[in-house]
Amino acid sequence: MDKKKNQWKAWLYLLPAIVLLLVFTVWPIFNTIRMSLLKDYDDLAAIGGATFEFGFANFAKVISYRGFLTCLGNTVLLTVITVPISTMLALLIAVALNSIKWLSKIFQTIFFLPYVTNSIAIGMVFMAMFSMIGGGPTTEPVSIGIINTIIEACGGTRINWVNAGSDYWSNMFVLIIYIVWNALPFKILVLLGGLQGVNKQYYDAAKVDGASRLRTFWRVTVPLLSPMIAYVVITGFIGGFKEYSSIVGIFGESMGPVGNPGSLNTMVGFIYDAITNNPGRASAAALILFAIIFAVTMVNLYVSKKRVHY
Amino acid sequence: MTENINAVSDEQILPAPPKGMKERDIRKVSKKQTVLKVLAQIGLYVFLTVIAIAVLFPFYWMLISSLKTLNEYNATVPTLWPQEFLWANYVTAFTGELELGQLFLNTVIVGVVSTILSLVVTVLSAYAFARLEFKGKNALFAALLATMMIPGELFTITNYVTVSAFGWLHTYTVLIVPFLVSVFYIYLLRQNFLQIPNELYLAAKVDGTSDLKYLWRVMIPLSAPTLVSITILKMMGAWNSYIWPRLVANDTMHRLVTVGLRGAAFVDEATGMTNFPAQMAAVVIVTIPLLLVFIFFRKYIMRGVSRSGIKG
Amino acid sequence: MKKKFGALFLAGIMACAAAACFVGCDDNSGPGNTSGPVEWKELSKSGGFTMPEGGFDINSPVEIKFYHTMGKALREQFEAQLAEFNQIFPNIKVEHEQVGGYDDVRDQIYKEIVGNNQPDIAYCYPDHVALYNRAKAVQPINDFLPGGTYANETITLADGSEYNLGMTAEERDMFIEGYYEEGRKFDDGSLMYTLPFAKSTEVLFYNKTFFEENDLEVPTTWDEMEEVCAKIKALDSECIPLGYDSEANWFITMCEQYGSAYTQPTGQKYLFDNETNRGFIEKFKGWYDKGYVTTQEIYGKYTSNLFTATTGQRCYMCIGSSAGAKNQQAPKTDDEFAFEVGITSIPQVDPAKPKVISQGPSVCIFKSDDPQKVLASWLLVKYLTTNVEFQAAFSAESGYVPALTIENMRKNQAYADMLDEADGFGNITALSALRCLEQADAYYTSPAFVGSSKARDEVGLLIQAVFTGSKTIDQAFKDAIEECEYFGG
Repeated sequence: MDKKKNQWKAWLYLLPAIVLLLVFTVWPIFNTIRMSLLKDYDDLAAIGGATFEFGFANFAKVISYRGFLTCLGNTVLLTVITVPISTMLALLIAVALNSIKWLSKIFQTIFFLPYVTNSIAIGMVFMAMFSMIGGGPTTEPVSIGIINTIIEACGGTRINWVNAGSDYWSNMFVLIIYIVWNALPFKILVLLGGLQGVNKQYYDAAKVDGASRLRTFWRVTVPLLSPMIAYVVITGFIGGFKEYSSIVGIFGESMGPVGNPGSLNTMVGFIYDAITNNPGRASAAALILFAIIFAVTMVNLYVSKKRVHY
Repeated sequence: MTENINAVSDEQILPAPPKGMKERDIRKVSKKQTVLKVLAQIGLYVFLTVIAIAVLFPFYWMLISSLKTLNEYNATVPTLWPQEFLWANYVTAFTGELELGQLFLNTVIVGVVSTILSLVVTVLSAYAFARLEFKGKNALFAALLATMMIPGELFTITNYVTVSAFGWLHTYTVLIVPFLVSVFYIYLLRQNFLQIPNELYLAAKVDGTSDLKYLWRVMIPLSAPTLVSITILKMMGAWNSYIWPRLVANDTMHRLVTVGLRGAAFVDEATGMTNFPAQMAAVVIVTIPLLLVFIFFRKYIMRGVSRSGIKG
Repeated sequence: MKKKFGALFLAGIMACAAAACFVGCDDNSGPGNTSGPVEWKELSKSGGFTMPEGGFDINSPVEIKFYHTMGKALREQFEAQLAEFNQIFPNIKVEHEQVGGYDDVRDQIYKEIVGNNQPDIAYCYPDHVALYNRAKAVQPINDFLPGGTYANETITLADGSEYNLGMTAEERDMFIEGYYEEGRKFDDGSLMYTLPFAKSTEVLFYNKTFFEENDLEVPTTWDEMEEVCAKIKALDSECIPLGYDSEANWFITMCEQYGSAYTQPTGQKYLFDNETNRGFIEKFKGWYDKGYVTTQEIYGKYTSNLFTATTGQRCYMCIGSSAGAKNQQAPKTDDEFAFEVGITSIPQVDPAKPKVISQGPSVCIFKSDDPQKVLASWLLVKYLTTNVEFQAAFSAESGYVPALTIENMRKNQAYADMLDEADGFGNITALSALRCLEQADAYYTSPAFVGSSKARDEVGLLIQAVFTGSKTIDQAFKDAIEECEYFGG
């Protein structure tokens, strides 16, 4: 009897969320599916009276795009590299922040700053740091960027990071730094929030145990924080697969260095390319991306079920 | 209010300690260990300082850019310190076309209202997922998670048609309601709720405490840090949101801060060149309230933590 | 439950993959045949507008919405003119809004058309009109043009005087022809969709002081340009003699000057892969390799910075937007300009048949269920575009060129004075406007259609890829065509 009562009560609690989701999320998803199944669907043309063939043509077109594998590869690569790096780094920072007393408030505030730093400013900084200006076939660059200045001061040779003729891995390196930098504050916030909820007794116990710092980290901190870590990893993966704005931020909408457009394009980049002229194809690409993210998240959830300690 | 929480003993709150930890006697702390400890602390500070510099640099860049002349900003070799301080950029930011006062007001209204409503919706849903048993719970939760995997841009057009059919264009409603539910937050809070041991709930049931009362008296205080994080993120969202507000409420009475900043207020009509220094000055002005909010809430996080009885 | 979900999606993916195998490749016709520029049809008499009974009603209030990109100073000019317009038509209330930049206006209206909320008048570029017209949302204005169905209709105003509803032939002849013709470069050219509002083009800025000191001739053809570049490079090996702002404009203008194919609005749309075009790209690639030329994207900074530099790496010529003249002004120390700037037409293939690109906003009117709104919008558009005072004030404030001929503009005393004071020092904006008005016969527009902006992007990227050597000419052309056909539809 109690169970039955619980049933409707649960739905009552969920009611506001469900109503809003139905209107503003579920309905658009259905609409996306509908558009994806109409060949070259175009909402403006539909208003103009055009009709569209039903079928899987959009999906076929997406998969047969010459840059499809590039988009998919870049998306996967960026996610697989940046999520572990940013999570580890955020964890280390959060633990470090939690184990100092002096200046800890100031450090916390500093690590939060990227959150309030305007994205235009960030783009400018990365240009100033990595971008060379004025290099040409017969002329030397007039500005080589802060990073290259440091490299040359240390006796190294400068690298063409993001400009015309730069190679793929230099581009990737800059992107990874940019993405990790962007992802840090949120992850630190969540992990630090989690750490501060951990009872110090565990650490005292570990101390009594004579466990080394490293051992304490792996055996106490990580397990206790596992729900938070799972959270940042799963959302990190989802965010990573939707990577787009960071590439535009550095390379512009051509999604690649000058002379090599599209070489850094991602799945969402492809969707944006198609969205005005061919919403049908964009929808199909979005659903393919959705299927990929869904599969990865399922794996993540499965792993975290086994590893996360509640 | 706090008594209820203090009444809960530590043993009840704590999950079982991880395996591999056995009771042993305290060892003597030798001198060597003290030295190591000091070195470790120094190492920590060095590590944090290096990262802090990397994190601060763009922020610093934002500040100095806001003080440069347009010519210096456009210089081929960027300067690390303004040759001359052009405070007039701040005057331009305030007196230019940007109606900063109205932008702030709009953003605060939208930020506060949507944060409060969003917290209510999130707490209720997270509670249902964490504590209540009902048919199809796991499937629904998985479906919810799945919704955040679709790139949002695809929702925009459909949602635009929906809100214009509701007659919501150019209102505060259209800026608040469509994004009240965040699966991210529900997920985060549910994880937090799950950490609170079930025994507490069962005990409360025996005492005849209603669900809502239990939620209000126990769950919410215990999850204060998470709720504060959500609050900050949501406020930040109002501050940073751009694509949707620009589309549905880009009029003086409802325009939000970022839409104003990114808009054409600083762009030269004919050449399309942006007056970045003045824009940066406006950005700095807009950033200050955010920073203050964070500094204020950071203290609150501490209090929230200590209130849950998890003092060292 | 989760398992079921997973299986479902796996099945979905497999279904997609299977579909891909079946549908495979479709239309893949041979390389572009080199047909010349498009032939346009005669302007048709009717744009499909039906006059309501009784014509335009001057007594009932009508409200129209106008989207633009005008900044504060320009809005003030506009509002002043609007007040005068309202003296004639007090019943027309104009709600106007600066939506953002040009792309913002386009994106906003695109979504508003889907939601059936579009404005009545908007700033537009030709490709925007092509986009809106997929929904057949733009009102052709043929009916109101000379020779159109309602060209001779008049409105009796409150004071009893007669006001021309349509555009008279004299009014039409006020426009610079190339700018006016842009309004019908869609489909077969029989329908007119836009009127020019404020315009700009590309001009050649050159360091006049340097040219005079070294006895250099200002180039009028591309061959002369090559010679001048070689001479300048010999004088200053550190320099890059010519900076070009927009790669896309360069490509499209070369097609126009050579008379070679670029795009066409129907059938096989993307025709720019041909021998002539490959030829000039190869030639310019040679220039780049010799250090004669660079572009904004490749250089990594506005080329105007390079032009106004007085030390170190610099350029002595710069091809950029006429509206950006004030950025090309030489730096000033102690009231003394570092050098004099000269402005002239861009080099030509055949100086007898000059071609320069037409840019800058036009205005279009949207269809409406309420014919009074369309008429009110038309009255405002006609009033603004053919009003010498407004065009003069707008041009002086913005740096854009008026869409009207120089003879007409000189009727405005203030503007005539401004043009007379033009020089290569402090009055560089006026000099730029003067040069643009002088080359009135040279303006062209390339056809606009769904995908025309994609073609524009791609030819710009093509030049970047070839210059920087990341692709061979052959590969770059093939890739550009393929991208256009994939995304342009």
